[in-house]
This record gives sequence, C-alpha cells and structure tokens, in this order.
Amino acid sequence: MPEPILRIENVSKRYGKKEVLRGASLTVNKGDLKILIGPSGAGKSTLLQCINFLVRPDEGRIWLEEKEVHYAHKRDLYAYRQKVGMIFQDFNLFDHLTALENVRIGMVKVKGMAKAQAGERAVAELERVGLKEHTQKYPAQLSGGQKQRVSIARALAMDPKVMLLDEPTSALDPELIGEVLAVIRDLGENGMTMIMATHQIAFAGSLASEIIFMEDGRISERGTPEKILFQAENARTREFCAKIAEFYGEKR
Amino acid sequence: MEEWLYIQNEVYPALLKGFWVSLALIVPSAIFGLVIGIIVGVLRVYGNRPVMAAANAFVVLFRGIPLVVQLFIWYFGLPYIKIYLAPFVAAVLGFSLCSGAYHSEYVRGALMSIRRGQMLAAQSLGFSKVKMIFSIILPQAIRRALPGCGNEIIYLIKYSSLAYMITCVELTGEGKILASNSFKYTEIFLIIGACYLAMTSVASLLLSRVEDRLRLPGFEHQRI
Repeated sequence: MPEPILRIENVSKRYGKKEVLRGASLTVNKGDLKILIGPSGAGKSTLLQCINFLVRPDEGRIWLEEKEVHYAHKRDLYAYRQKVGMIFQDFNLFDHLTALENVRIGMVKVKGMAKAQAGERAVAELERVGLKEHTQKYPAQLSGGQKQRVSIARALAMDPKVMLLDEPTSALDPELIGEVLAVIRDLGENGMTMIMATHQIAFAGSLASEIIFMEDGRISERGTPEKILFQAENARTREFCAKIAEFYGEKR
Repeated sequence: MEEWLYIQNEVYPALLKGFWVSLALIVPSAIFGLVIGIIVGVLRVYGNRPVMAAANAFVVLFRGIPLVVQLFIWYFGLPYIKIYLAPFVAAVLGFSLCSGAYHSEYVRGALMSIRRGQMLAAQSLGFSKVKMIFSIILPQAIRRALPGCGNEIIYLIKYSSLAYMITCVELTGEGKILASNSFKYTEIFLIIGACYLAMTSVASLLLSRVEDRLRLPGFEHQRI
C-alpha cells in the first residue's frame, strides 16, 4: 500500500504576465524517486522552489504527510522546511563555515540541539557522504563534487521526510558527477523520498520510480522510465529524451 | 635647556591628560558607532518599509549635517528643552551617531554583496529571518565591511578633536590652551600632530590584525 508523503495540488506561479508554472499536481509516496526532466524554462526549478516556498506560489495547496502546509504562518513554514531538504545546483554552502559547521549549524540554530551532539551527528553525516577527511575545510577549499556532498550531508542532518534536488550535478565537471550521483543513489536505496530535476537520463532511467516531463510550466507527460524514455506518447517528449540521451545517456 | 624644562613640566603633563581624554572619547564612540552602524545597516537592507525609511532618514540626517553643528545642537541646543548633557557625554553621543551613520553605509554595501543563494540555503533549512541574518549573513558581511569600517574609525580618531568646540578639553584642546599661553604654536601643534599620527597608526595596525584574525579561505584579498 503506497504511503503518500507529499501531495502537491494545482501549484501555479506567474511573474508579471509570464506563467512559469501552470497548475502542477504531484503525489509522492514514501521511497519514491521522482525525476523531473524538460527543457530549461519548463518550470522544473520553479516547481521545486514552490514546494518549499522559497518561491511563493500564486495558487495551489501542499500537504506533507496528509497535513496541509499553511505557509503564511511563519512557524508552520519554518517547521515544514526542516522536513523538506533542498539541494541546489550551485551548492550554496555557507562560505564562512567549515564543512562540519555547515552541517551542524541547522541542527544547532534551527532545531536547538546541543553543539556537541550536533557535531557528532554532523561528522556521521559527512562520513556517510565520504568526506570524513574534509570536515575542517572551508567551501573555498573543496571541489565542486565535495561541496555538493557537504550540502547533501547538511540537508540529511535535519532528518528530512523528502528531499528536493535541483539539478545537483549540472554545475559539476564531468569527472565529479559520478561521486555525487553515487551518494544520491545510496540515499534512494536507503529509502529516502526524493524529487530531482536532472539531465542525467541514464541515472533517471535506472533509478526513477517515475519520470515527469515538463514543458511550458506544465507537466505534459509522466510515467515509468521505460515508458517515457522508450515509448513516450508525446512527440515533444520523445524528441527531448533523444536529445539528452545523446549528450548524457551513453555512460551508464 | 629652558625649552626642555618647559616641555617636561608643562607640555608633557597637559598633553598626556588630553591624550587620555581623547582616548576616553574615541574608544566608546568607536564601539557605539559600530554597533549603531550594524543595526542601522541591517534595518536599511532587511527592515520593512517604515523601518527602512526611518533608518534611511537617520543616515540622511547624521551624515548630512556638519559634525560641529551636531555637537553644538547636543550641547548648546538641548538645554532649551531642559536636557543638560556634560560636554563629554554630548561629544560621545555626537560622535557615535555620526560614526554609526557612516558605518551603516559600509555595512549596507557588504550585506548587499552576499549572494542570494546563501539566503535560499538558510531558508531551506528552516532558518527564520532573524536567525538567518545573525548566523549566516552578518558573519560574512562584517568581514567584507571591515576595511570600510576601519577607515571610519581612523576618521573618528581625527574628528574627536572637535570635542574641544563644546568645551570637552582633550588633546587638541590642551594644546590650544598651552599654545595661547606660550605662543609656541608651531612646536606644540607639531607634537599634537605626531600624537594623532601615532594613534591612527596604532589603530590601523590593530585593524589589520583584526582583519587577519577574521580572514577565512574564500574571503581573502584576491591578488591579480
């Protein structure tokens, strides 16, 4: 019996006259890995940012574990965001903190944990993403792949119910993509619920529980990887998948 | 010989007394000024509309009126509404407010230079706005504002000499009294000039120490 964790209904966002998101709906069950694909400007990033209200949707409702999120109430919003981890394309590590402090600060300042206890947890999370040796380094001393893994550890330390990943490998050199994808694969295998926008079609094909194709602010087609990648109904989906397979697909 | 005795018996004790008064003016003014500057700078960037407008008005006022005029208002003007400030208090008040207005501009610039991603990351972890400002934004912004704020502190050391205008006799004031008694203007003001130069030199040394202490990878000077 699938257990819905996150339910998004009819989320829309306009910037002036431009509609960047037109009524997106989505149900995410426990352990799902939903992959968002689509051309740039399709609304993938906006959808992810609307889910944790970094962008305020103009319309739409969101439920986490069957409880509606009342984002106008600041306390509800802050509590909700703790349960929804976010990974950004350009990492956004706190530049003035070491890797360890980056992972620890949310636990201390937001959750009110004791520093020592939070520190132990931070070390454990950094170990989990393979960065045990780098806990004392500042972001400027880490490679892109290491930075992204710190940011994953930082999100995990908050014990999120669901993680949103916004093109987590798009800013990385090709040889660093693998280490980040390996960490994400690991998370999936351990049952983490995730929504991820990516162009890594091979990764999506082998791990996604559903692939969602977005275009012009709409979800235009969705289905299992087999269906979307090989038997898409929509001509535009087929064309897009063929194109990204050419660029990202070969190396499995 | 007579010169030397004059310097030893009259100039030295008077100027030393004045120096301590100057220092007593500068240190609290620098601290209050910096605190006011940080608060006003934060309000100018992150305050809601009325708060932002009030903070901006503060800067227009205290940066726009000559400091001597401000000091006169605090010392000679306030008694009209039955508020009597000691010269020393009026001077520290005037210096702190004026200095704060200038600091706030450096702080504001630094706050605006922090990348938006830092805020998005903090928000996505569940930080409230206040916690985000104090734990994430300010620690980075202060590092960037430091050179400008140091400049303002050096400036404060020099304009502390204006306290003499409202009868708070500090280094310059003591010098003026000595000089008008002995008519040795050149000698005495050369000595006083050297004293200020020494103070500003020590201050800039201390400030660069502070910058070194706070320097982190990613925040250092980029040499081209």
